[in-house]
Amino acid sequence: MVPIIVFVVAAAICVAGALGVVLNRNPVHSALSLVATLFGVAVLFIAQDAQFLAAVQVIVYAGAIVVLFLFVIMLLGVDRAENLESEPLTGQRPAALVAGLLIGGGLIAVLVASTITGKHSSGAKVDPAQANVNQIGRLLFTDHLWAFEITSVLLVIAVVGAVVLARRGAPGSGADAVDAGIPADDFGEPASPDTVPPNDVEETVR
Amino acid sequence: MIFAGDPLLSGHIDLAVVAIVVLKTVLTFALLLVGTMFMVWFERKVVGDLQNRIGPNRAGPFGLLQTLADGVKVFFKEDLIPEQADRVIFKYAPLLSMVPAFITFAVVPIAGDFRHGHSGVVSIFGHRTLLQLADPPIGVLLVLAMSSIAVYGVMLAGWSSGSKYPLLGSVRASAQMVSYEAALGLSVVAVVLVSGTLSTSGIVSAQAPWKWNLWVTGVVPFVIFLISGTAELNRPPFDLVEAEQELVGGYQTEYSGIRFALFYLAEFMNTITMSAIIVTLFLGGPSGPVILGPAWIWGLIWFLLKLLIFLFVFVWFRATLPRFRYDQLMDLGWKALIPLSLGWLLLLTAVRVGDVEGWNPFLVTMVGAVVLVAAYGLLVLAMRAARRNRQLAEELL
Amino acid sequence: MGQYLPVVAMLVLAVVFAILSFAASKLLAPRRPSAAKSSPYECGIVPSQEPPERFPVRFYLVAMIFIVFDIEIIFMYPYAVIYRDLGAFGLVEVLTFAIAVFASFVYLIANGALDWGPAKRLGRRDPQMSATRTTTSTVRRVGLEGRPAGDEEVAA
Repeated sequence: MVPIIVFVVAAAICVAGALGVVLNRNPVHSALSLVATLFGVAVLFIAQDAQFLAAVQVIVYAGAIVVLFLFVIMLLGVDRAENLESEPLTGQRPAALVAGLLIGGGLIAVLVASTITGKHSSGAKVDPAQANVNQIGRLLFTDHLWAFEITSVLLVIAVVGAVVLARRGAPGSGADAVDAGIPADDFGEPASPDTVPPNDVEETVR
Repeated sequence: MIFAGDPLLSGHIDLAVVAIVVLKTVLTFALLLVGTMFMVWFERKVVGDLQNRIGPNRAGPFGLLQTLADGVKVFFKEDLIPEQADRVIFKYAPLLSMVPAFITFAVVPIAGDFRHGHSGVVSIFGHRTLLQLADPPIGVLLVLAMSSIAVYGVMLAGWSSGSKYPLLGSVRASAQMVSYEAALGLSVVAVVLVSGTLSTSGIVSAQAPWKWNLWVTGVVPFVIFLISGTAELNRPPFDLVEAEQELVGGYQTEYSGIRFALFYLAEFMNTITMSAIIVTLFLGGPSGPVILGPAWIWGLIWFLLKLLIFLFVFVWFRATLPRFRYDQLMDLGWKALIPLSLGWLLLLTAVRVGDVEGWNPFLVTMVGAVVLVAAYGLLVLAMRAARRNRQLAEELL
Repeated sequence: MGQYLPVVAMLVLAVVFAILSFAASKLLAPRRPSAAKSSPYECGIVPSQEPPERFPVRFYLVAMIFIVFDIEIIFMYPYAVIYRDLGAFGLVEVLTFAIAVFASFVYLIANGALDWGPAKRLGRRDPQMSATRTTTSTVRRVGLEGRPAGDEEVAA
């Protein structure tokens, strides 16, 4: 009885959050809905005895990745003027429609074709006498060693990618762009302060 | 290894168990709330003393009830919401700051008998239970998860105000909290390494009676945890978030009335929680010698004494240390604490593995030290290269 | 799963506490809004600029790099619990992983991605100190514009 209640509540949070991501007009609200979904998934992980994964879900996804999303949304001011008419990527809407239909069709096919067993969806056996972390660790550092080590390469690529992208940011500057992108005051000033004389600021804003 | 968990909740959960859980929840909640009340008083009094002032002395004996008086007053204060604010987020952001503090405190072992052979379990109404609210097998990770959720409170409060200073304060704060979380996480790994478990009561048991992680992990992780813990709390000397000379009140600028009070409460609550976590992870929590009477009471006494030390240390930091500049803060976090904690962790791992494998501990330490020095040299070279590039860029500007 | 019951109880209690405080404040607190109170706080100056819309790229870099380190740290936890069973083999695994991460860290530092603070402008005049900026232009911005005459806050 209790597992079913937990599942229903967590699933409801997940679905509501997912709908919120799509339907909210304000991107910050969307990102927060995403956090709700991630929490729901974390609860589902706990219900499946995958406690370590639940913690990782919250620490990495809610604690790091959505924080990055929020940084980008809040600090770039994407939430202000947003033009829904223009399409940044040509053909993304038809492509999204096709992908959505395919995934939806796949889900329905799974529901119709196979029965729902209600079993725990873990691949390996969960040993109730051992802490969940120990079991994950043992698998990760023996059977799935390759995946673990290749992750480090992935992380290195991510770091290099982040730095290269940040460097490309400032056009017209031959200097190290990571530095040149920073206005002299660190905050509050437009990126190139000398193009806007201080006296004109009021007029420009109004 | 110890597969921990509260014995109360590992069996069948009936009405009596639920009643005990509710009782424990209310008690823990009240303890933290009353503790926070006195913490605010304590901080004001100690800072007052250190600055040669008297501090609060009107409400109650020694001004003890000052916080209560302030708390009551705040209910009667107007709760303003700026017109440019994102109303929903603005209203509920204080909640996101406060709730993680409560949940983190739930996994702290508060009392209990941790002498040899005991694991802090006591009997209440015929049910065996731990004297801590919850003991999930991933307790330490729960603490980390909550500290990453706490970032949201600060971040959303600043953004939703729709005003300059809060936004600047919250951006600084979130970048700071995120940076120090890495160092925090790495120093906790060292504790997990020597304790062999992620459960908080397991970590306390592993330290009893005198094998405190403070010296078992070799002091360095403790120092790193203390520094990054202070930074996570946004307390002085890391309080750039609310650097009043430049940012008015940081992310709290637009808050007033009860919502401001909740942020204020959360700040002090987090201080208590962080001290409690330090005591649990590094100072053996409630473990200590039993002198007279029931053992679990001595656990409580030792816990509170150790807690008091860190509460005082945090207040002392505040009264003594000048605030960091933002680039110094980030440099300390990224260029000193993170590499140091990573290096120390690897050295500790090598020594421990050498212990299991029967290698010569002296040799392992020496090789480890040489590798670390080489890595440090590499880091210094990298910093020099960065400085040179920067100078070149400055000449071009 | 039962181990999380108290955590949920605590969550509920904390949320209820906060909601009750909000409700109590709503009942007890006065509500006298005015234009001056609900405008953004600017130390008494009428706001003339929107909050900044763009921030230094370094903030994004920090958030991005934190993800990388967070994942690395998370991998250390399962290892720390079972390092005894893995022995020397495990040590080599973790060292390989750590070296890769450390290499990316050195790359970051060498590229100045973690350097904060402004680049000093050598030999160029600060536009804030331009000759066009006079007392009149500054004082005009701190004036009473935008405020209704006879506003109670001004009168007080």
